[in-house]
Amino acid sequence: MNNSDKRYDFKAVRNINIIYWIMLVVMGIFMIRLFYVQVIKYDFYKKSALSDQLQQSKIPATRGLIEAHQGNQIIPVVLNQQLFTLYADPSLVKNPQSASEKLVSIMGGSYDDILAKLKTPKTRYVVLAKKISQDQSDKIISLKIPGLGTVGQDYRVYPQQELASQILGFVNNDGQGTYGIEQALNDELAGTPGYLKAITDINGVPLAASKDNIEIAPTDGKNLVLTLDIAIQKQLEDIIKNAAVQEKSPLVSAVVMDVNSGAVKAMANYPTYNPSNYFDVTNPGVFNNAAISNAIEPGSIMKTLTAAAALDQNVIQDNTTYNDPAHWIIDGFNITNIEEDGGAGVKSVEDVLNLSLNTGATWMLMQMGGGEVNQKARQAWYGYMTNHFKLGSSTGIEQGYDSPGIVPKPNIPNQSGDQQDLNYANTSFGQGLTVTAVQMASALSSIVNGGKYYRPYLTDGVIDAQGNVAYNKPKLIDSNVVSSKTSNSMVSLLQQVVTKHYQSGFSYLNFPSNYVVGGKTGTAQIANPKGGYLENEYNGTYLGFVGGDKPQYAIAIFVTTPTVNGYAGSYAAQPIFGSIVHMLINESFVSPKGS
Amino acid sequence: MRPSSLARERRSPSVISSSGLPRRHKPDYILLIVSILLLAIGLIVIYSIGPGLSVNSKVSSNYYINRQMISVFMGIIGFLIAAFMPLKKWRTVEKPLIIGAVVAAIAVRLFGQEVNGAWRWIQIGGLSFQADELIKFALLIWLAGFLADRIKSNQMGDFKKTLLPLIVVLASVGFVVAGIESDLGTTSVIMCMMAAMAIVASLPLKKILIFFGVVSIAVILAVATSSYRQQRILTYLHPSSNCQTTGYQTCQALIAVGSGGMIGLGLGNSVQAYGYLPEAANDSIFAIYAEKFGFIGTTILIGLFAILFSRIKNIIERAPNNFSRLLATGILVWFAVQSFINIGAMIGLIPLKGITLPFISYGGTSIMFVTAAVGIVFHISRYTNYTVPSNIAERNYYENSHNGRRLGGSRNPVTGRR
Repeated sequence: MNNSDKRYDFKAVRNINIIYWIMLVVMGIFMIRLFYVQVIKYDFYKKSALSDQLQQSKIPATRGLIEAHQGNQIIPVVLNQQLFTLYADPSLVKNPQSASEKLVSIMGGSYDDILAKLKTPKTRYVVLAKKISQDQSDKIISLKIPGLGTVGQDYRVYPQQELASQILGFVNNDGQGTYGIEQALNDELAGTPGYLKAITDINGVPLAASKDNIEIAPTDGKNLVLTLDIAIQKQLEDIIKNAAVQEKSPLVSAVVMDVNSGAVKAMANYPTYNPSNYFDVTNPGVFNNAAISNAIEPGSIMKTLTAAAALDQNVIQDNTTYNDPAHWIIDGFNITNIEEDGGAGVKSVEDVLNLSLNTGATWMLMQMGGGEVNQKARQAWYGYMTNHFKLGSSTGIEQGYDSPGIVPKPNIPNQSGDQQDLNYANTSFGQGLTVTAVQMASALSSIVNGGKYYRPYLTDGVIDAQGNVAYNKPKLIDSNVVSSKTSNSMVSLLQQVVTKHYQSGFSYLNFPSNYVVGGKTGTAQIANPKGGYLENEYNGTYLGFVGGDKPQYAIAIFVTTPTVNGYAGSYAAQPIFGSIVHMLINESFVSPKGS
Repeated sequence: MRPSSLARERRSPSVISSSGLPRRHKPDYILLIVSILLLAIGLIVIYSIGPGLSVNSKVSSNYYINRQMISVFMGIIGFLIAAFMPLKKWRTVEKPLIIGAVVAAIAVRLFGQEVNGAWRWIQIGGLSFQADELIKFALLIWLAGFLADRIKSNQMGDFKKTLLPLIVVLASVGFVVAGIESDLGTTSVIMCMMAAMAIVASLPLKKILIFFGVVSIAVILAVATSSYRQQRILTYLHPSSNCQTTGYQTCQALIAVGSGGMIGLGLGNSVQAYGYLPEAANDSIFAIYAEKFGFIGTTILIGLFAILFSRIKNIIERAPNNFSRLLATGILVWFAVQSFINIGAMIGLIPLKGITLPFISYGGTSIMFVTAAVGIVFHISRYTNYTVPSNIAERNYYENSHNGRRLGGSRNPVTGRR
């Protein structure tokens, strides 16, 4: 048989068919296997796929802004800005030198620092830079350097810088509101985060559309409008800062409150801090809003409340006079007057306030007990202080820590024995109990506004994510704190105190006659932690009001251990009151009489 | 039927042309259409995973598709050259091809890049060239010629003249491709190709057994001497236990295939291409295709390959001479074995090999040699016999018929069938 170039080759045909059939068998096996993998085991592989591909991530809610009044305008005091953290997985960065060079050219910083971080051994996460801008982040991402990434985070920015920082508080690194209104109203401000369950690429970046994606949108936090008036706040801060420096006081607090609503118009403490740099603060004490958190023995400003309580119980009248012995013996202890103006003789209610007579305050307390300090007197006084003026409990103002202060109970013996009457004699002129500035401002408001106690508050309105505005109405808690007769008497008594002080030489108390200004100083002894009171240190306090036809603002001032020549109340706190009232009048924040 | 074609059908039964080949006739257009469909599928898949491929590299999402379009264009040129070049011409380029293949084999080890433990690529300027594709092609041309010569000189049974050279060539190819380049996938394709061509060339059964014995020993040695290959075998045996390390690609490939389900995720919806499955455009493209188009899609793809193989088989059966028959056989086995290794790896049936899926995978070298091979088969299809004889009597019957074709309605005198 000739083998040359077979046109027909039967053997080859047979052999190629054998090979071909083997191929068909292989393809058949493949089809069976594909049916098994794709159809029968579909659920298993789908689940495996999703366990790699499907990732759940939190979508942060945008934190609400905080705004405040400035005249008729509303302007922001806390805003958000998205900044980025640049991180790296050093094990994936192949060329740290060139990467560092590129990074430095985009965001500045030290080449050596970045290079050192990129060369960190045995770690898969280093933070290269914090708070870089959106623009810088975009540029870095566009370099597509393997192992580098950025993650955005909202940061609080404060266009007014230090202004009202202690009222605002700040947001810590975990996104938690800390101190101030950020803490008190954290839930409203924070909103509810949403979440995204999405198919992602190998780097965790969600792929556009997939039916397996689930997205729950976040509910953004609500915006708050504060009752504060920025213009008053700014000037109040300046005034107390100057006073603190001048009087060498380690802590000055002041509150300006609308007597007819309880709205805080301004509230400041010094020293303070800049919330943008809260992490640089070395003394965390400055985070506290002392006007609310710092309860101290108030001293003689308490006589205002004692007088109001006595007048309201009708046990004295505004024109009652009495024979002051210049000292009382109570529980075997001598109650005397600190101020020189004392001396035995006939005194009026006005004298008690004007000369700040401790014996006078004790006399008022005695009238509540039918002529002596007793159980009845104690209970009457306690009832007024706690039930009427709401001392001894938190005011409920929207702040991080709202100190209740301490008012001693009328019938529980204290530790040093049964000296309740002595203790109560002391409390009647402001020793042996603690209050905060905001409590005193609220109490005075209720005394001078006709007897209405409003809960002090800081937020005027809440604006939700949809833009709906909910206005906070003043919350009237008690409309019978004192009678209107008592209220009128107290307004004129306190007014006379200011007038008399002006006449006695405090020339800065020269207020225009178309304004009503009243107030009371306090020079408070400071309890010694070892027992008794400190020898040469006093706190100066002031409680007053200003208005036109009627009182408009209540003002409480606490000055801690000032160094002044004279009584702390008159020489440290009273000048501050004078400056604040002049500021309010000069800048037309107060409406004059007849307007 | 138009008169002209009627006239052609009735022409003389003498169909042997002056070149010794049957007269030129209509080529196998189905072969061409199936090849075009397969190339189109490759382009569509590569186009649609562009964004996914750019996740882990700096290239734009159009980078791969643009380059693949150029590859297909070059492939069309390769096809046209092969389709219109007389078959005899291939015998004359045999030597340059062999020399080129040897040079490429050396160059790939000296200047090439290692990818996943194997040396397959040489960078020339901005282009990369896959040496093993050239080696395969050169070997195909040479072996077809060599075996055709041996058949002609009736030396197929001669150990020294036939078997020894085959074993020497196989051993040296195995040494270079499997040993030096560590490319076991291509080695397997070459071995199967050589074995199939030897079988079709009717190498005696005993010699074929010797040949396969040598092949098996070579494979066992290759696996045993390379820890990288041992690892692959272990991975193959226990894929899920190595999901995070050596079995990562196998696992991700199976996840891609399996999560496609019956109808697939849809053309634009592959997730595994987004950085999960390595080599998504190259070696792993079948898994991505399976994820997109599901079991229906894989059935269609394997069906298209089956049609392609059956067309080539038909052409082999009716091939006009030994050289063309052996060439087509080599091409069939090359396409088939390479597809099987690629797909088998993706569905976890055989250990993972770095090897492309013909027509579909990204890569210019692969596309060019595959289309050139299709061109050769296409060329052969114009010179095939009209029918397939199953024995001499039948052949004689057809030879004596009007035009080499069984006449319509007439019975086959041998089988009695119509």
